[in-house]
Amino acid sequence: MRVEYINPFVESAFNILKEVLNADVKRGELYLKSTTMPVLGVAALVGLAGDVEGRVLFDMSKQTALAVASTMNGEQLTTMDELVKATVTELANMITAQAVTKLHDLGFRFDLTPPALFTGENMEVSDHEVEALIVPMETPQGKIEINVAIRERA
Amino acid sequence: MQTNNQNPQQDVRAESLRPDVVRTEKATAVDYKMVTFSLAGKDYGVDIMNVKEIAKASKFTYVPNAAPFLRGVYNLRGEIIPVIDFRIFFHLPAERKGEDSLENLLILRLEDQVYGVIVDSIDKVVGILSNTIQPPHPIFGDINIKYIHGVVENQGRLYIILDVNRIFEQKEEGKSHIISKTVGGSFFAAQTAQLEKEASVSTSQTAGSELDFIKETLFALKHFVTTPLNDAWISQRFEEWRVLRNNKDLQLKNIEDAEEFLSTFYSPFNGRLWDETYGEQVLALLPDLSSKTINVWNPGCGKGYETYSLACILKQRYHDARIKIWASDNDLLAVSSAPNMVFELDTVPSVYHKYLVKGRYGYSFNQEIKDAIFFEYHDIKHVNPFDELDIIMARDVLSFQDADEQAKILNDFMEKLKARGLVLVGRHEQLPDDEWTRLGSDPVSLYMYNR
Repeated sequence: MRVEYINPFVESAFNILKEVLNADVKRGELYLKSTTMPVLGVAALVGLAGDVEGRVLFDMSKQTALAVASTMNGEQLTTMDELVKATVTELANMITAQAVTKLHDLGFRFDLTPPALFTGENMEVSDHEVEALIVPMETPQGKIEINVAIRERA
Repeated sequence: MQTNNQNPQQDVRAESLRPDVVRTEKATAVDYKMVTFSLAGKDYGVDIMNVKEIAKASKFTYVPNAAPFLRGVYNLRGEIIPVIDFRIFFHLPAERKGEDSLENLLILRLEDQVYGVIVDSIDKVVGILSNTIQPPHPIFGDINIKYIHGVVENQGRLYIILDVNRIFEQKEEGKSHIISKTVGGSFFAAQTAQLEKEASVSTSQTAGSELDFIKETLFALKHFVTTPLNDAWISQRFEEWRVLRNNKDLQLKNIEDAEEFLSTFYSPFNGRLWDETYGEQVLALLPDLSSKTINVWNPGCGKGYETYSLACILKQRYHDARIKIWASDNDLLAVSSAPNMVFELDTVPSVYHKYLVKGRYGYSFNQEIKDAIFFEYHDIKHVNPFDELDIIMARDVLSFQDADEQAKILNDFMEKLKARGLVLVGRHEQLPDDEWTRLGSDPVSLYMYNR
């Protein structure tokens, strides 16, 4: 993955999470993965097209998703209802959109697809022929892993 | 430079030293090497073949409900490894450091599992004769006798050699459920057989077991892997080394020794801008290419200095073609700085001056050169997405990958290159004759793929 793409994703994830959760957010160390990875339980996926092809996956446990949605909505949510799903989806959309805006300012043209949300137990994700950049984010609500797998269009 | 994981290896020694090796001084004819460290003021050693690397680290991630000696898990470049505190494990007094202070970590590899082990301090590499190792005496108090491989004396110090295989085996069965089961004995046997074979092949060469241990040490300390790719260099360097050291103290005891040994391996201008002479030598060897776009891959680009040098040379040689260089490295910090590199004018060889422009913070390469290079955060061991390449530049990259990785990457090179594509490897690296034709002579190791 081109190094120019990395910072916009890291920065926008940090900024947006800090803003919507109104709390201290810590970034873990970035690393690359190319194997199949387990998904924590709730995964929001945003596809990218344009200069690149690929996707961004926001991965968190169900508890984290509930806690994040509770904070963002200002009320205690305890079940994975439509509101929680919509909130997590929106969060994914906000972060990706801001990253794409930053990339646009740098001269890269990216488009994004509407986000999709997956929930379930024992899920895995694998990418064919693309390695994924993992950006771990620690929030008071729990860990959110941002998994960016994009490559240049041939 | 790419970093890497290494193969599981087990201690296999060529028991019978050949006469021409025995003739060298007894003290230097080592056939067992161990990494030494201290715990509660006493000296211990572990077989170097089990040591993957050494590191300093802190902030281990706590694992709830784990045994007390398991300090947590640690992210070693993406690989999550359990970290065991040997002092707690052996009920020795341990100074509990603050959360942020660094602990000395021995990274061990046993079969296919990697473990981190915290010790008080890591000392050096000590070479000994395996027949001087004495069995443990039943009255050893501090550490349970079944974990001790033996005791050896070296330069007035008594080292207790720990049997790490036994220690971690035990943990699996009884004390902890954190470490997953390792694969069975068949794998271990296969590895041993292969290593025995390799050992017998190399001892039959003139270099003998002294050289074998140098190779092992280079592997443990610098992750330099000896294969046919660099074998010629290492044998020749060993002869030089003998002269340099007056045939005494040949073994590499620490990282400084290893670096000194390797100092002549690196290609000219490693990690720097190439000077005019080397640039001209490369330029002179580049054949005419018919394609309109020249695709180049530069794995292990580091901070990108060599990539820029190559870009300028390619611009000069193929001025009508479009140059596209994919430069990748798995060191995020190094490669991140590459696209925005700035220089003081007088630090740059004058041959590059026409490609520089003055910016707010100093000189940098002009847009034309910058647009030709794509710097990527990428690990060569993962899937390499490049295709239809004209040139690959990988100087001093392959030698630092495991033997099976080297073979895999070389295969990848052949798959990704166009017919008669070029590869520039390190000065002292050689590609196999049957598939590659060497175009350059020392110091430029340029090869063409025979297809």
